[in-house]
Amino acid sequence: MEEMLKVAIDKSDKAELYYLEEKTDSITFENSRLKDIDSKIQSGISCRIQKDGQMGFAYTKNLYDGAELMKNALDSLSGGVQASFDFPFTRKLTELKSYDSSIEDISTDDIVEEGTRIRDIFSHQTKGQINLYAGINKSGLRIVNSYGTDLKAKFSTYSVNLEILYPASHSFIERTLTSKEFKEADDAYLNYILDMYNQSLKEVKVKKGRMKVLFLPEVMYVLMWRLLRAANSKSIYNKESPISEKIGEKIFDSKLTIYDDPLNDKMPLARSFDDEGIPCQYLSMIEDGVLKNFYYDLYYAEKMGARSTGHGFKKISVWGGGETVSMRPVPALEHLYVKTGDKSFNEILSLMDRGVIIAGALGAHSGNIPNGDFSIGVAPGIYVENGDIVGHIKDAMISGNIYDTMKNVIAIEDTYYPAFMGSFPAILFDDVSVTI
Amino acid sequence: MFDDLKTIMSKIDADYADIRYEIKKEIRIVFNGKELTAVTSNSTDGYVLRVLKNGGLSSVAFTKKKDADNAVQSAIRNALLISKNIKEPVRFAEAEVVKDTFKPELNEDPRDISIEEKIDLTRKYNDIPLKHEKIVTTNLAYSELVRERYFFNTEGTEIREDLVTNGIRGSISSSDGNIFQSVGIGFGGSNGFYTVRNQEEKLERETSIVLDLLNAKPVEGGIYNVILNSELAGVFTHEAFGHFSEADLIEDNPTMRDKMKIGAKLGSDILNIIDDATMPDQLGFYKYDDEGVRVRPTQLMKNGVLVGRLHSRRTAEAFDESVSGHCIAEDYRYAPIIRMGNIFIEPGKKTFDQLISELGEGLYLLGLNGGETSGQSFTFGAKYGYLIKNRKLGAMIRDINISGDLYRTLENISAVGNDLELFKFGGACGKGQANIRSCHGAPHILIKNVVVGGK
Repeated sequence: MEEMLKVAIDKSDKAELYYLEEKTDSITFENSRLKDIDSKIQSGISCRIQKDGQMGFAYTKNLYDGAELMKNALDSLSGGVQASFDFPFTRKLTELKSYDSSIEDISTDDIVEEGTRIRDIFSHQTKGQINLYAGINKSGLRIVNSYGTDLKAKFSTYSVNLEILYPASHSFIERTLTSKEFKEADDAYLNYILDMYNQSLKEVKVKKGRMKVLFLPEVMYVLMWRLLRAANSKSIYNKESPISEKIGEKIFDSKLTIYDDPLNDKMPLARSFDDEGIPCQYLSMIEDGVLKNFYYDLYYAEKMGARSTGHGFKKISVWGGGETVSMRPVPALEHLYVKTGDKSFNEILSLMDRGVIIAGALGAHSGNIPNGDFSIGVAPGIYVENGDIVGHIKDAMISGNIYDTMKNVIAIEDTYYPAFMGSFPAILFDDVSVTI
Repeated sequence: MFDDLKTIMSKIDADYADIRYEIKKEIRIVFNGKELTAVTSNSTDGYVLRVLKNGGLSSVAFTKKKDADNAVQSAIRNALLISKNIKEPVRFAEAEVVKDTFKPELNEDPRDISIEEKIDLTRKYNDIPLKHEKIVTTNLAYSELVRERYFFNTEGTEIREDLVTNGIRGSISSSDGNIFQSVGIGFGGSNGFYTVRNQEEKLERETSIVLDLLNAKPVEGGIYNVILNSELAGVFTHEAFGHFSEADLIEDNPTMRDKMKIGAKLGSDILNIIDDATMPDQLGFYKYDDEGVRVRPTQLMKNGVLVGRLHSRRTAEAFDESVSGHCIAEDYRYAPIIRMGNIFIEPGKKTFDQLISELGEGLYLLGLNGGETSGQSFTFGAKYGYLIKNRKLGAMIRDINISGDLYRTLENISAVGNDLELFKFGGACGKGQANIRSCHGAPHILIKNVVVGGK
């Protein structure tokens, strides 16, 4: 990389190289049967250069040597993309424990054995179809730039996702476990999925109306997606955010505190620097319902006369596709949390005289996301009456706007769980429209 | 290149193995509002190896040739691990041994067009919405993706095929200071650069839609009879029905598999659905899939009866049905999975005016705004729509998401128009991997009793 950086500096004013290598082993059980074991051994390098106020970008996996990568970057430079921000000189960083070397001793045999153990426990206690995904990822990252920055980090992740499907459908109850080291799934995790499924097994019909709706951690992304879009410096810059003038204003219920914490190394993939080499930091986005901050990468920080908040990440698209190394950094919150509340899950249930638990969402990407609107199919919704789970419902939709819905928080669960887009507790909202 | 692949394969002792090497060339040009924010041109490559041994099938994707030995050992070890843990061994249906090189005929090869011309064309389109005061921003991207594929298997199949896709996609956003509206836009194809030329009218049309949406009324939630335009009906066909024609999605789901039996009457008598990736000049065109099987037109539904489905070699054997050539990977990082090529509802006899008369009262919904399915439940968004009263188009409506049960909806399709249109470019079907060439279509269709989510 040093050689390549020299070539880049030679041909440009400022240069940055990003190198990522990773190994992934994953297993899949479908309908209780071991179906697939797949491995990936991948590496790649990307390069950003600036010359005369213009920016170039290129990446490769291994086809070409450094000179070819540089040729693509120089070609890209001539496209005329304007940027003149400086890459950072970053040295002292918070030390994070993002890699647990015990993961090196874990083989696909161990993961299959754990999957089989979980499958066997479940098949004795439920008739529902069991699907399980488990995998190990080990990765190494290095960023160097022409300002003397040379940062390295290693990461280990083990994760399990378990689903039980309702009869005649693909709707399921699911939950994910994730850690830096290999860990057996504990009883609390297994019992949550089993109980939720077994209690809601009966299909029920209910009347439409406005009611209490409990978003499980697994579907909080529906709401967070809209907030992340609105608080993104790119949206602010493009004048398509409804909250661009609302820093310091109370936009949500005062029970809600939402933040990004890349430094929390109890969770896997903690980061002390972002994909541009800027030190990562805790960022308060919503504090007691008040909008506190937007988040920036170097590009949009420069456009808006702000400082990067350390949130420039090479983010792949929401539904998969693309590849980290091939992406340019964009403003992204990759370590999002909703602060936990003071109620256990059962205490929250007892607050529901009549309502629906959203355990899966369909069509989260539909509708007017900039406006904060959502309108999702529930897959499934679980109907609750007088604090008891009665059964699951199909063919229902819930809809609203986050700037209304998130003003009406009744209670927040006291534990957060890793889920899509962040770590979230379940949140009970009042007065949400349910169409059936 | 084939010599390299054969060397790697010579080290494998297995019942079957295949290897795919791909060079991927990508160009992207992105405008955000008035600004050009990215111009990139990249080449990259990689390998995917699959091994079938003692009834266990495993895959390894790797980047560097020096990792080949490691990859071979991992694949064999994992195939044996699967084999030890399953009762029914994986077998592959027979497929013809093929030696072929196929490069598609293109109407203007995008690789021959300069990057400057591509930037100028995208800028010209991007400027169309931006001349309006209430258009706050645009996001318009030209993308070009070339997959140069080399496929070799231990049966002797040796295929070299190129897939060339180009298009422009993005969104246009409007605001009147209070609310924001946005519409997605996409055009392009897999048969040449001409597919992105002369699209000014489309930009003008979408711009006026996103401006009109500022004054449209949010739809009232409820149950409606609806007419879907070809884009929405095509998405319904793809999302709600098509995915269950993919054998891998139902193989291990006994209840769905039971419902999707060949011969089952699932739809109304007027419903005919086919997947035909061999049709020329459409986005989903290809000759061989990523298992080296030649794709064939596959009738899925005839007069409402399920008559076929989409297969890999593995599922064709497991279902005891014919291979169809639908096992496709996103690129050199993935083992292939079953994918639709070009699925559509075949045209019926009714004109659009006849459909409106038949509907009487209800909604006319147009354009896609995201779709997703889970089992027999589906949800998708419409870009916009119109109220229909007394057989006449009325006011424009917005914020429309529809949701339903696949089987009930198939039964409730009460009329099919005569105006088939196929999707051009812009969405990507996600199924763990992205498929930007997923093509679908339909004529206008009339569906009774659809759940529409409102505010």
